[in-house]
Amino acid sequence: MLLFLIVIIPVLGAVLSVLLPVRVRGIANLAAHGGVFVLAAVLAYHFSVGNGVLVFGGVLRADALSAFFVFLISLVNLAALVYSRPYLREDVFAGVLSEKQVRGYDILFNVFAATMLVVPLLDSLGHMWVAVELTTLASAFLVGFYNSKSSVEAAWKYVIICSVGITLALLGTVLVYHAVAAQTGLKTLDWSVIIVQAPGLDPRVIGAAFLFILVGYGTKAGLAPMHTWLPDAHSQALTPVSALLSGVLLKTSLYAIIRFAMITQKAMGADFTSRLFIFFGLFSVAVAGIFLLAQKDFKRLLAYSSIEHVGIIVFALGVGTPLAVFGALFHALNHAMSKSLIFFAAGNAVKRYKTHHLHMIHGLVRAMPFTAGAALVGLLSLVGMPPFGIFMSKLLILTACFQKGLYGPAALLLFFLAVVFGGLMFHLGPSIFGKKPKGVVSGGEAFSMKLVFVVLALFLVFLGVVMPTPLRALLEAASRTITGVGI
Amino acid sequence: MMTLFFLTGILVLTYAMLVCHRIPALIQNFRLQSLFLFLVTLDFAVRHREAKVFVVAGLLLLVKVILIPSFLSRLVKKIKVDERLGLFLNPLLSLISALFLTWGASVFCSWFLYTRQTAVFAAFVVSITVVLVGFFIMVFRMKALSQIVGLLVMENGIFLLASVMAGGMPFFVEIAIAFDVFVCAIITGIFMYRINKVFTHIEVHRLTDLKG
Repeated sequence: MLLFLIVIIPVLGAVLSVLLPVRVRGIANLAAHGGVFVLAAVLAYHFSVGNGVLVFGGVLRADALSAFFVFLISLVNLAALVYSRPYLREDVFAGVLSEKQVRGYDILFNVFAATMLVVPLLDSLGHMWVAVELTTLASAFLVGFYNSKSSVEAAWKYVIICSVGITLALLGTVLVYHAVAAQTGLKTLDWSVIIVQAPGLDPRVIGAAFLFILVGYGTKAGLAPMHTWLPDAHSQALTPVSALLSGVLLKTSLYAIIRFAMITQKAMGADFTSRLFIFFGLFSVAVAGIFLLAQKDFKRLLAYSSIEHVGIIVFALGVGTPLAVFGALFHALNHAMSKSLIFFAAGNAVKRYKTHHLHMIHGLVRAMPFTAGAALVGLLSLVGMPPFGIFMSKLLILTACFQKGLYGPAALLLFFLAVVFGGLMFHLGPSIFGKKPKGVVSGGEAFSMKLVFVVLALFLVFLGVVMPTPLRALLEAASRTITGVGI
Repeated sequence: MMTLFFLTGILVLTYAMLVCHRIPALIQNFRLQSLFLFLVTLDFAVRHREAKVFVVAGLLLLVKVILIPSFLSRLVKKIKVDERLGLFLNPLLSLISALFLTWGASVFCSWFLYTRQTAVFAAFVVSITVVLVGFFIMVFRMKALSQIVGLLVMENGIFLLASVMAGGMPFFVEIAIAFDVFVCAIITGIFMYRINKVFTHIEVHRLTDLKG
């Protein structure tokens, strides 16, 4: 029932957004996503105290891994919702958006949230594929929301490139289906059934399937070299949506990859997936680092940083020890929060300075102190400075890497991370502390935005200093689900 | 035997897509290919007497043979663009490339497939070829519409694989996918409409505002 509620509430939110007038709509949406967050936290807590599996109606299924992703998605959803209120109000006030468009935004936001929340809760790999494709379709209009030349172009590239990727993932799914049917005679795509049969499946077919899956879902996850849609979509989308795309949409695809990787590892040993993960992970971090150095656009800069972090997570999955997987999941959580925080700050800055150009956004600290603070915390967190959570998760991943004796990959990763560090610091330092251009007014940040900034920043510091026991237990359980071994 | 006939039909229609010069021809070609896909599924349903596969076949007929092509044709008429597809690679070279793609597909399939049944192997090769040609159309044709059709062709290839192998995927998955393909066609169609409105053309290679 819990699982069903988590999925159905945003759907109801979408329906209510169609019916209700503006004021009530805001409260209803807040209540809906607050409710989903609480339910997700209950679900996460359930799996942190004891293991097991929850099912609903033969379609929905949750284990510790799903619970973690649902928690992550609901958290960023709630933050984005709270932030988007004042953000859209300003646009309406400035005459950029109409009330009708804001209603459209509310509907799409809820549909997008529902599709993302359902991905980790579906048992059938076929349904999961449909849900992932629906996330693209639901968010396409949010990327092309302003209907300008560049946003329509970004939305087009986003839909087309991601759909091609997803189509390849469908091919991979069909191959897995074929392998299962050929081996056992079972006509099923249910993950829970396939994982039991996995050791007997034809390793060659499964290997070929995994290649399609990795390239397919990897496109959506933003792995280089299939990442080309990502900077466009992230920079053109509405800012709360950029945060959602970067913070959680990429991770839902990663979730799909993880599920298939588990099958593949059982069918043909861990080496195959491990090598692929490490290669794509390192390559993504490297590509992101190079493009970061040459960036001029604030939001594109952050988009490339997302590619880097997805690279780190995939790298950690490639290392594959329980500690590394624990670090990968923890990193996903930290990245989602840091990236939301800094995207929100970037959105404010872009609006105030009326430009995306980094060399024109200077002296944020004088124009918008809270936003500047958020940008600074986000920046320091993203590059991996203590005392923020990302420092801890990177440390865990590198420790696991050294423990396993992967010195070469670890060294390469550290080198690329240093490049990224330089790129981000070089670009964002002046934006935060430089000289404020004349004509940019100071102050005037909405209360709810400040609230989101402070809460997210405190969360990040908190996670860097102490690891709450339930979260730790949940991550351990999820890591055990993936690797089959405890830490 | 029947299956091989249908497979050949699909392969021929797939190649024929590469010689299309005009948008309506491409859409009609896609409609025919989908019709053959429908026949393959129907054939399976008749032979195995499975009610669910009949439903899937019916859905295929409705969505891919009737609704999507009609929607796309109407859209193209509405936006009144130049009907030429804009070929980056001329038909002959495209055909030769497609032959190589088929050869590549058969090499790929023989790499991981140990089947002795000719029909299954042929189905694999044809399906992968259709997927590759769909991708080829997306890359080597200029118009946004050809990208939509290319995507649908890729999906047709995968449908074919699932149909020939096992009469399609599990019932509810199949329904969900059909719904999804339909929504995808509509949404990409709407975006094509918007591209035409903002840029006054639908040539994708001229969408170059965003770089780096």
